[in-house]
Amino acid sequence: MFPVSSQKKHWLFTDEKEIAQLREQANAAYIVKHGSHMTKEKRENHFLSCQEEESLLRYWEISMKKFCKNFNPPMPKATAATSLHYFKRFYLRNSVMDYHPKYIMVTCIYLACKVEEFNVSILQFVANVNGDKEKCCNIIINNELLLMQQLDYHLTIHNPFRPVEGFLIDIRTRFPSLENPDDLRPLIDEFLEKVFSTDAVLIYAPSQIALAAILHAASSTKANLDSYVTDLLLSREQLKNIVAAVKEIRMMVKGIPATISVETMKLLEKKLEKCKNPENDPDSDIYKQRMEEMIDEDDISNNKTYAKLTHSQSECSNDKILDQIFDQSICN
Amino acid sequence: MEDQACPRCKTTKYRNPSLKLLVNVCGHTLCESCVDLLFLKGSGSCPDCHIPLRRVNFRVQLYEDAAVEKEVDIRKRILRDFNKKEEDFATQREYDDYLEEVEDIIFNLSNNIDVVETNKRIEQYKRENKELIQKNKHKWGKKENELEELLEQEKLEQEEKRQEMAKLELELQKKKVQQKEALIDELMFSEGDAKSIVQTFASNIQATKEELQVAPKATGFSSGIKFSQQSSSGFLPVPKIEEGPKYKYVPISQDFEGPTPPNWKDLKSKGFLSNVRPTNDMDKASGFEVSVPCLRALQEAMSCLYHNPKTHRKEQIAETI
Repeated sequence: MFPVSSQKKHWLFTDEKEIAQLREQANAAYIVKHGSHMTKEKRENHFLSCQEEESLLRYWEISMKKFCKNFNPPMPKATAATSLHYFKRFYLRNSVMDYHPKYIMVTCIYLACKVEEFNVSILQFVANVNGDKEKCCNIIINNELLLMQQLDYHLTIHNPFRPVEGFLIDIRTRFPSLENPDDLRPLIDEFLEKVFSTDAVLIYAPSQIALAAILHAASSTKANLDSYVTDLLLSREQLKNIVAAVKEIRMMVKGIPATISVETMKLLEKKLEKCKNPENDPDSDIYKQRMEEMIDEDDISNNKTYAKLTHSQSECSNDKILDQIFDQSICN
Repeated sequence: MEDQACPRCKTTKYRNPSLKLLVNVCGHTLCESCVDLLFLKGSGSCPDCHIPLRRVNFRVQLYEDAAVEKEVDIRKRILRDFNKKEEDFATQREYDDYLEEVEDIIFNLSNNIDVVETNKRIEQYKRENKELIQKNKHKWGKKENELEELLEQEKLEQEEKRQEMAKLELELQKKKVQQKEALIDELMFSEGDAKSIVQTFASNIQATKEELQVAPKATGFSSGIKFSQQSSSGFLPVPKIEEGPKYKYVPISQDFEGPTPPNWKDLKSKGFLSNVRPTNDMDKASGFEVSVPCLRALQEAMSCLYHNPKTHRKEQIAETI
């Protein structure tokens, strides 16, 4: 149930400002960590700004939606929506420069498939990826635990799809004057898809988003749902608050900035290439070295324990021999 | 029965009921009085086969056929030396061969075939297996001792029981006498109705009899093993569970933070179910009812509809405090 969920407790924020603040913090933290030796101007040139990060994220969100749409076998909308939730949550705390979105993207989708019980094996999954499949496998496996940790293991996501169904059943039952509520569906789906390009899911409850989608669809088709909302669904005291929320959601959807062109995207990628954290780039030497070190560490610790064991055993046998000699001398 | 007669004095069991036939190692019988007469000196020869015999070796004849008696005797003597056991042999075959040899010897001796030869064989065996014989004898002795001890104990217990019974009986008799005397005294000296006095006494006796009839509980099996120990240790007492106050069912209530969604009853009565696809047979077979997802969708539509992002954080902070 949503009222007692971790989503409501930990992942709903006051407004877009608070969310922007979190992203700024993540961005600033990265710059401080990796650019302490640079001057202020140099830093601004070298690292991505918050706006640049955001436009990159938006670009990757769109490619994420495309990936989910073209996924084979066809992926349910809830799975795609959940993965977008994960993606958004992850970059509230982490900078794009620290972890490249393309790696986090596949990991988010793969984790969402598991959580939403959309059963695909990892081989089936990477078959949908262009490029090196084996590398993709490794990226997903290496990043999955990190992702879950960054999500605080809050994996259950409440999406607006079920509330939409609930509202449609309710409208059909209690508001028969609207003749064909199912006609609204294409518009609702369109709206919901757009919602995931905004941060509305990090601010409003899924039922509110669902209601906004239905009201948007109704107003687009000139169907009148006002009396349903004002007379049947809500009481007068609560009305103001919800109308405001619905309005805000619709504004957010309307205000989705245009997607960046491929050229700017390429420029940003070039910049990112320079300022990204090489430790988290699977192509970098440092990353490979670190992985090897981790494997070596395992070996070394094993070797150490082995050495310890053999040492203690040899000591033990020495003691025995000494005892024997001692006994013999007494006997003689 | 009439066949049982002493071969020497021709006395039969019929003529002398107390006739006791004795037998010696040769297997020939003699009655007790003949033995007394012939073996006055303690030793003599058998009147049948003239083998020198000793008086102490005479014993009561158990079997009618004296030949059997002789064989039993010989068997006893042979087995005293041929006392190997199955464990002493490596294979079943060897053990079987050994048993056959023993039977051969016994047969030869009891039927007087190659007696000298057979005796030689026995002597040789004795020489060869001196140690083993001694060892096994010791073992046998131990076992027999144990058995004897057991028997002794049983005997003792029986004796005790008998004594107790006798004691009880004595007491009972004493009591009876006392009661009789009391009754007579009562009849003699009291002034009450004689009939009623007799009746009360009779009923008293009846009562005591009934009391006595409650047999003392058996405390052991006939084999002497006490079963009280087993029964007491066999079952642990069932621990008593302390009962607290009874569980009271409180239906789960949920704050939807929105308009109240319909409940189970409303689903049907208000017609929500007519607006979803009906449950088909396949669904029912797997335990699925459309009402469940229907209610869930409605609940999720209503829950947190009143959510206000502006006040959400404040509420949370207030909650944690």
